[in-house]
Amino acid sequence: MTMRSSPLSLSVNGKPVGPINVPDDMMLLDVLHEYLGLTGSRVSCGQGICHACAVIIDGPDGPREIRSCITGAHFFAGKAIRTVEGHAERDAQGNVVRLSPVQQAFIEHFAFQCGYCTPGFVTAATVLVERLKTSPVARPDLEAAITKALGQHICRCTGYVRYFEAVRDLILATPGLVRG
Amino acid sequence: MSPRFRRFTLAAAVVVGIGAMGALAVMAGLFATSVVDASARTPLAKEEMKELVERGRYLTRAADCAACHTAEGGAPFAGGRAFAMPFGTLYSTNISPDPETGIGRWTRADFQRAVRDGVAAGGRHLYPAMPYVSYRDLTATDTDAIYAYLMSRSPIRQQNRANTFPFDYVRPTLTFWNLLHLPARGVAPEPSRPAAWNRGRYLVGALGHCGECHTPRDLTLGMIPSRYLHGARIEDVDAPDITSAGLLLMGFDAGSLARYLPAGMGPQGVMNFSMYDVVHNSTRYLTADDAAAMADYLMGSRPTPAPPAQAGPIPVAAPPGGRQTYVQLCSACHGVDGEGIPHVSPPLRTNASLRLPSPRNLLVVVVAGLPDRPLPGGERLQAMPGFGTLLDDRQIADLVNYLRGTWGGTPRTVTLDEVRAVRPTQP
Repeated sequence: MTMRSSPLSLSVNGKPVGPINVPDDMMLLDVLHEYLGLTGSRVSCGQGICHACAVIIDGPDGPREIRSCITGAHFFAGKAIRTVEGHAERDAQGNVVRLSPVQQAFIEHFAFQCGYCTPGFVTAATVLVERLKTSPVARPDLEAAITKALGQHICRCTGYVRYFEAVRDLILATPGLVRG
Repeated sequence: MSPRFRRFTLAAAVVVGIGAMGALAVMAGLFATSVVDASARTPLAKEEMKELVERGRYLTRAADCAACHTAEGGAPFAGGRAFAMPFGTLYSTNISPDPETGIGRWTRADFQRAVRDGVAAGGRHLYPAMPYVSYRDLTATDTDAIYAYLMSRSPIRQQNRANTFPFDYVRPTLTFWNLLHLPARGVAPEPSRPAAWNRGRYLVGALGHCGECHTPRDLTLGMIPSRYLHGARIEDVDAPDITSAGLLLMGFDAGSLARYLPAGMGPQGVMNFSMYDVVHNSTRYLTADDAAAMADYLMGSRPTPAPPAQAGPIPVAAPPGGRQTYVQLCSACHGVDGEGIPHVSPPLRTNASLRLPSPRNLLVVVVAGLPDRPLPGGERLQAMPGFGTLLDDRQIADLVNYLRGTWGGTPRTVTLDEVRAVRPTQP
């Protein structure tokens, strides 16, 4: 079946994008890579298992992680997403001046080695931290909440523990994320 | 008091008295019939037991005893699996040979009575959640073999959990239920039919007890004989019609059904909901002959069927939103044309869920998703995400109507109410 193309407009990392002509059955990840030059989101399994391609979708019920390799680009028409390129603070020239707290925590904990899965983990951890800002977690439930948020992401180098510890330390060090 | 009134009172008293005596007689089991032969009182010799074990292992699997008598993560056959009923929770019992907590002290006759008459050792009536109505048709020898196999296993010491029924003392009144629903005699083989047909009926009806879920029940919770295998709502999903007409509608013929039963998947999709337990514990172990016998029996005498006449695109104006949602959220795994990806996700254009008269099962899967679980032969499809949070009721209705109309040949319009009905009550 041949697919038509249709114009697509969305918000990526706070900036409006489009309208660009995108095939109707193209996945978001391919649009990020091939049309927008945003190659930070990774393609790995290509079938929604590894979560290396996950990006943030900012909907009416807050931020949520979504797998860009199995979600069609046109699903995001008129919606707002954030990719791994959008987390750090940048200067007027676009150079990174400060990493996001999640990114910084991952570096401080040596959380990754090859780094292929990292954009997905940054996405998941950022969504978790942002959701805790509006609904803090009880201290005894924190570990379970982290496991739930990161648990679907696959890493083949460092065995998850450092990612986990980085997120836990960041959450405990950030006021207002934990109750009790 | 007029003589007429006195006569009336007397007559009423006699009627009530006879009724009460009759009820007591029923409760005392005077009308209860046993299919267990007196010869079962003779214990089996050690050697006989030993010889029966292997056959018993196969039959225990074919009868799927493990599915109910094993708690999640618990020891096999140690019981404790919870069954939520409208009036409380029922727990399956320990059928490992532990003398204190299991069936270690049960005699051959005790076991026969429990499985085929629904009366446990000591005369305690079993609730019909135990499918003794179906197991009634088991042969004595096969029941002995299952007994021998269970007794050969390691005893597991695990106390049975008490049911939370407020009226557990109603057990003796199950004799009334049995009068209504438990046939006096088991079904005998039909000599005029081929042996394979009789074997298929035995596997479907007695061992596999398929009818327990696939047959609708009446108000007294007994299976309705005239609607045998016509499908029923169970655990909030539809156990589909598995008469030959129903199977045909789902896209099965005898050959594909014989492959589907042990594999747990095929062009018709993946066995899910309670049927996952069935393939995982039971049908995967069927011999090719037995699977073929079941399939032949279920498909009846129908000639090799073509795909259902109404399958394939139908000229129903599919909502454009449905196709759009499909391409955007489903096509990466299920294919733009519903072709699926081998070892990843099943094809939809031949999927049985799209062809069922009721959209229920499809809706449940779209809203809640499915876990990834190992299937026989090292097969494993990936988990299906639920789209209940990402899509609203209208989008889900449009999507399901698109799927059913395009590939299922089911033009029925799914309503928003049907979508709402499958959404979890607590978000």
